[in-house]
Amino acid sequence: MIDQNNAIEIRNMTKKFRTYKDKQKTLKEMLTRRRGEVIENVVLDDISLDIKRGETVALIGTNGSGKSTLLKIMTKILYPNSGTVETNGKLTSLLELGAGFHPDFTGRENIYFNAAIFGLSHDEIDKRIDDIIAFSELGDFIDEPVRTYSSGMYMRLAFSVAINVDAEILLIDEILAVGDQHFQNKCFDKLEELRDSDKTIVIVSHSLGVVKVLCSRAVWIYKGKLRLDGDPTYVISKYLEQSAIDNKEEAKQAAESSEHLPRGAVFIDTPVPFQSVALNQPLTINGWSVSNSLDGQVEVLFDEKPIENVTRVPRPDVFKAYQEDYAGFIDEATTGLTTTIDGSLLTGGTHRIEVILRDGKTKRQIDHKTIRIKADANPVNPELDQD
Amino acid sequence: MQTLREFYEYRELLKTNVKKDIRGRYKGSFLGMLWTFINPLLQVFVYYLVFPYLMRGGMPNFLVYLITGMFPWNFFMGSVVGTTGCIKGNAGVVKKVYFPRKILVLSQVLSGLVNFFIALPIMLIFCIVFGIQLTWNVLWFPVIALIEALLIYGIGLILSAINVYVQDVENLVQFFLNLLFYGTPIVYALSIFPSTSILYKLVRYNPMTMLVYAYRAILMDGMAPGWKSMSVVLVLGIVLTMFGTWVFNKLQKGFAEEL
Repeated sequence: MIDQNNAIEIRNMTKKFRTYKDKQKTLKEMLTRRRGEVIENVVLDDISLDIKRGETVALIGTNGSGKSTLLKIMTKILYPNSGTVETNGKLTSLLELGAGFHPDFTGRENIYFNAAIFGLSHDEIDKRIDDIIAFSELGDFIDEPVRTYSSGMYMRLAFSVAINVDAEILLIDEILAVGDQHFQNKCFDKLEELRDSDKTIVIVSHSLGVVKVLCSRAVWIYKGKLRLDGDPTYVISKYLEQSAIDNKEEAKQAAESSEHLPRGAVFIDTPVPFQSVALNQPLTINGWSVSNSLDGQVEVLFDEKPIENVTRVPRPDVFKAYQEDYAGFIDEATTGLTTTIDGSLLTGGTHRIEVILRDGKTKRQIDHKTIRIKADANPVNPELDQD
Repeated sequence: MQTLREFYEYRELLKTNVKKDIRGRYKGSFLGMLWTFINPLLQVFVYYLVFPYLMRGGMPNFLVYLITGMFPWNFFMGSVVGTTGCIKGNAGVVKKVYFPRKILVLSQVLSGLVNFFIALPIMLIFCIVFGIQLTWNVLWFPVIALIEALLIYGIGLILSAINVYVQDVENLVQFFLNLLFYGTPIVYALSIFPSTSILYKLVRYNPMTMLVYAYRAILMDGMAPGWKSMSVVLVLGIVLTMFGTWVFNKLQKGFAEEL
């Protein structure tokens, strides 16, 4: 029997997915017994987990680690092969927004359909409908058929229904990215409000920043196993450490097989394209690059001529943005790059600046940026000029 | 018991599903919902034209005989086909949201039942027009219809669940329904078979025959339905529903993976 303080109780739960090499779906194939090869994948391995009432828990892990499967098992869409999952209280899952929406019916009618799938009665929906419509900010569009909606409006309506269902346990799968910034902030505020009430929330998210702010606990699923469970800041840092190791390992293996195509990006912050710069004055170029190449190199060309002494400088803002994606490959102190072009090169007319990011071993180009600038005796926008 | 509690909790979903189904069935066609009733009537018309030539010896009120058999049959056939495909047809929702899956089966049966009740006045009008004396026994109609619905629900649970796993079920269902149609005295009378033949016995003890007989008893003959055969169908319906629930519960855990 489930402990009354727990909202979700998982004990020794294992989930396997069977994939058939050629699946027999017709009766003939079943009868002729041409059994295809069965490949068994253990997606979740012996997970035991308690989620207490009122907690806000994040499930983190890389793609394919099994965290979304875990969420689906909590919702009772999938069932475990062994072990038990028990829940205590009304549960709503926001795995898919707008499930059961019917394009020909109006937004208002669809609120009833959608909320009914979540198990609300007519009276309960009546009580909430004004809140839902207000939250969705759809205004008069609410009485138009859903097929006339933009995708943003559709998602806003769907999220508004789901968030206002008033479940005791809320399971959310990476849907904080709904609508524009304004609506996202609103959703975030609503989630904070729910967190501070007595609701239990389980979130699967890759937005580690959101997790840190919103959640009181993070559970890290690593290759189908529960790896670490505790305070978000600590769990996330451990998760990033492991991702760094894995990413490097993966890149090394990939580099050995010739198939490896490293990813990356390079950018020039200043000067901006078509900027007018001072004639015969030294010009500083600032930019940054990230890549998962083991020995990525950046070349700067000014009018087709390579520029020496490009120095790497710290760029914490860029590092933060890419730290999960390129964990293990980038370093906060060397994300930025800067170089100065000798004033003698800046003769009157148009000049071309090109920055190329290459894989060190194969010399293959990963990314490049080209901009044109104009050297002028009287720069039009001197406030943008460097030095 | 647990199923019933879940049905109650999700009653709004059941209601909207039935509504959507009835409204959506013939949406966009000129005559709209009327097709639900025109279709069987047109079918009846075809049989009415053709069969007297095939069968020796006419039958009094053959048209009413056909109609009182065709509408109960259409309820059965439409709902069995509907339930068979209902889980697969709602794959998108089944894969993404939890709700009691049996709601989908039940709402198919209920929307069929609603249509059937709407067809009752049409059957009564034909009875009256062709000079049949109606009696209070017509009031047994809902009871017989509910017994039929229970039978369909049991069959629907089994077929809808298996249909997720095996592709051919829909085709097989079509075949067996066709067989059953001719195995039920809808367009002919049982008396065309000699009463000692195997065919006679097969048709006589077919549960659909018992149901059709019951409808004809209350509508055409002004009599109460045969209680013995009604209890047989009721027991069969209960057994099938229990067995169907068991099968469905077993199989529904894999729905999201199989679809």
